[in-house]
Amino acid sequence: MKIALAGNPNCGKTTLFNALTGATAHVGNWAGVTVEKLQGVYKDRKSGIAFDIVDLPGIYSLSPYTPEEIISRNYILSHDADVVLNVVDATNLERNLYLTTQLLETDMPVVVALNMEDSLEKEGKSIDVELLSQKLGVPVVSISALKQKGLKELMRTIKEQEGKERKAVSFITRGVLKDTVDEVFVLLNDDKDGLFDSIKLVEGDKLTKEKYKNLVDDIEQIKSKNKTVLEKYKGDYEACVADCRYRYINEHLSNLVTFVSPQPELSKSDKIDKVLTHKFWGIPIFLLIILAVFHITFSENFLYLSIVIPDGSFKDAGKVASLFVDTEYETDGESNISGANSIKSPGVFLQGLVEEFADLVNAPRVVEESVNENGEAVTVVTEEGGWIPRLLKNAPAWAQGIICNGILSGVFGVISFLPQILVLFLFLTILEDTGYMARVAFIMDRAFRKIGLSGKSFMPLLMCFGCAVPGIMATRTIENDKERRATILLAPFFSCGAKSPIWFAFAAVLASTVGWNPEFTVFGVYLVGIAVAVIAALIIKKLSGQKGVTPFIMELPTYHAPQFKSVSVHIWQKLKHFLFRAGTIIAASTVVIWFLLNFSFSFKMVGEEESILATVGGWFEWLFVPLGFGNWKFIVASVTGLIAKEEVISSIEVLAGSVEALITESGVSTAGIFAYMAFNLLTIPCMATVGAAAAEFGSAKKTVGALAFWLVTSYVVAFIINTVGSYWWTAFIFAFIIAAIMVIAHFVEKKKHIDTLRREAAEEMVKNTDKAEEAQND
Amino acid sequence: MYLLNAPFNSQLEVVKINTDEKTKNRLQNIGVIAGCKLVLMQSNFGDVIVKVRDCRLAMNKDVARRIEVERAITQAEEKVNEDSFGR
Repeated sequence: MKIALAGNPNCGKTTLFNALTGATAHVGNWAGVTVEKLQGVYKDRKSGIAFDIVDLPGIYSLSPYTPEEIISRNYILSHDADVVLNVVDATNLERNLYLTTQLLETDMPVVVALNMEDSLEKEGKSIDVELLSQKLGVPVVSISALKQKGLKELMRTIKEQEGKERKAVSFITRGVLKDTVDEVFVLLNDDKDGLFDSIKLVEGDKLTKEKYKNLVDDIEQIKSKNKTVLEKYKGDYEACVADCRYRYINEHLSNLVTFVSPQPELSKSDKIDKVLTHKFWGIPIFLLIILAVFHITFSENFLYLSIVIPDGSFKDAGKVASLFVDTEYETDGESNISGANSIKSPGVFLQGLVEEFADLVNAPRVVEESVNENGEAVTVVTEEGGWIPRLLKNAPAWAQGIICNGILSGVFGVISFLPQILVLFLFLTILEDTGYMARVAFIMDRAFRKIGLSGKSFMPLLMCFGCAVPGIMATRTIENDKERRATILLAPFFSCGAKSPIWFAFAAVLASTVGWNPEFTVFGVYLVGIAVAVIAALIIKKLSGQKGVTPFIMELPTYHAPQFKSVSVHIWQKLKHFLFRAGTIIAASTVVIWFLLNFSFSFKMVGEEESILATVGGWFEWLFVPLGFGNWKFIVASVTGLIAKEEVISSIEVLAGSVEALITESGVSTAGIFAYMAFNLLTIPCMATVGAAAAEFGSAKKTVGALAFWLVTSYVVAFIINTVGSYWWTAFIFAFIIAAIMVIAHFVEKKKHIDTLRREAAEEMVKNTDKAEEAQND
Repeated sequence: MYLLNAPFNSQLEVVKINTDEKTKNRLQNIGVIAGCKLVLMQSNFGDVIVKVRDCRLAMNKDVARRIEVERAITQAEEKVNEDSFGR
């Protein structure tokens, strides 16, 4: 038996799904759209009940306006499932039953799960379940998905529905619309889901109209006879149907809620909102929370405890303890010691743990040639290396290379961010689960609207400062496709944790050569990223020709404590996803780059200097001369950054010895160095990010477009930085060009806008003529 | 009057929704239709939070200024009116 879960967003549907299916759940996509499709299996050995469960996307209605609604509706009407399980939030009965009344109009068997009985009790309310069941004409079971109460009974009730048929009922046919719906219903002569379709036809639903193209004229005629609707609702049948539904719910159903205890004027949730969404305090409070999250994830100095812990406290800490604390210190030779007094944050500690493990498995084996007392050459093993290099010590060099330096170091390089990504994600999931994220979107909406994005883009972009992969995954919550794509395009511009080693390395060199304050250099890179993101967002906004940003309407769920189960299921899904990719795409691309970096065109294993990548990099040197870093080593280092961004620095170290050596050797100017940093910040991100973006775009064409966009943006910005850095007066020229582009884009936008207005006016005119003709015919 | 400049914490009734069809439908699905009661909880420079049918909705300024509302007479007020009329 197959059951489909349907219900409003935030009604606890997914919690119920997770409680029922546990680890059997798997995530897919509905065909053709990027809406998540969750499927799983429920099994109870004792009673022998087993169901396939499909979790439909959260919807408010079965209208044809959003992809989620269309998917749910098509799925329900396909009768693929045997029972529709409608999850209803008991604390918000009136709004939730709006969907229920529509589900009851189909011929599908329906069971209502009245969720959140515990919260209802806490609010001092109760619902007469029996009476509700009687009035709806379908079984209603009171459950708590969170506390996993009532689930067995719910499953038993569903089992009882097996093989039963249900006749569609509608509550709106009792009022002003009775005759109209009845007449249309007769026209459809007993089609499957006829009642549902006839009500949708009366509403003027475009999908159903397509289904019954030949009846459209007859229906319009029936509708024109209803004088009440014409007068009272000015012929707006959609509004009339909605009004009838709410009216019925209001008069007959929502009064089944009784108040056990007196209701406070402001609920707890409202009181919290008074502070967290405050006009002035909202944003500072949010910044503090996010700072704390980043601190716990990335800080080497947890809670700034080094202020109270005396210097050098941990200098003699053992190997195990050094995972938790910083043991490095500086000393002036006497008794003055500084450092070795900070504790690592959980994120950094976990990352250290993974790196420790990587070393254990894959530390390189170091063999040195030396001469013994008798003057004979011998090889001395100075480092035994990890398990794998030891295991492979007698294997041929290419095999050692491809396994240890190729696959393993690449995959470990990516996995070493995993702890920090997960810790970051854990906190953000908790914030989401409590209901705070919806508020953040609300308070940030105003600022983001100015650059053509909505508040819903804010959180994903902020996460990109940690890692762009979870950031891009989080764009799922943005319903408008154009906004979502724009947000993904901007994601890599927010310097992620893996890119920071690049900034630190170059900032250190710039500090010693030209005396730039390293903190300001790093901060400058972050600012360049943000500035480019803002300008790019503005240009995308203008060029996309969208009239305005989608209006922001969002439900703010009641605050509740985060639930261990829902948070852990969420994290587990992300982890699985990430590991799968690390094992496939990332491993494969690492092997390719390793091969290109270690073999010559004649397929001989050579040093990196003569490798394919070096040769090809050499061909493109001229292309990067205008950017100030026309040296193949810089280019190759950037290419290796595709595996993981910190590879940029390790490649430079392999190719030139050190960052400083490369700068001296290539004679690159300070402007060129900064241009190189900007280039690495803005260019095509690491494979993991590209993979995540491709999954969200869901189309190869759009992915290639995005790659081109990143490449062009990074090239142009690096060029501007290098040129302005070398000849300061060119800044005016670039400012002029950017302004000109903006002006042109503005006119393009205006023209597109006028075109749409014209089209609309033309359509309106056609409509009016039709109406006039109809009037004449009458 | 529009939701944008309506008073806080008092019962309001939606008179008319002047948005485009799609937005109107979204509002309708989420519970905001002409004739429904709502309470303005918060306004941040025009972006508002309202309470409708036991749930809290956030809307931006653009939507708030297209929703026409009027003060609804609460039952308590009705009683006061009746009393004063009776005298």
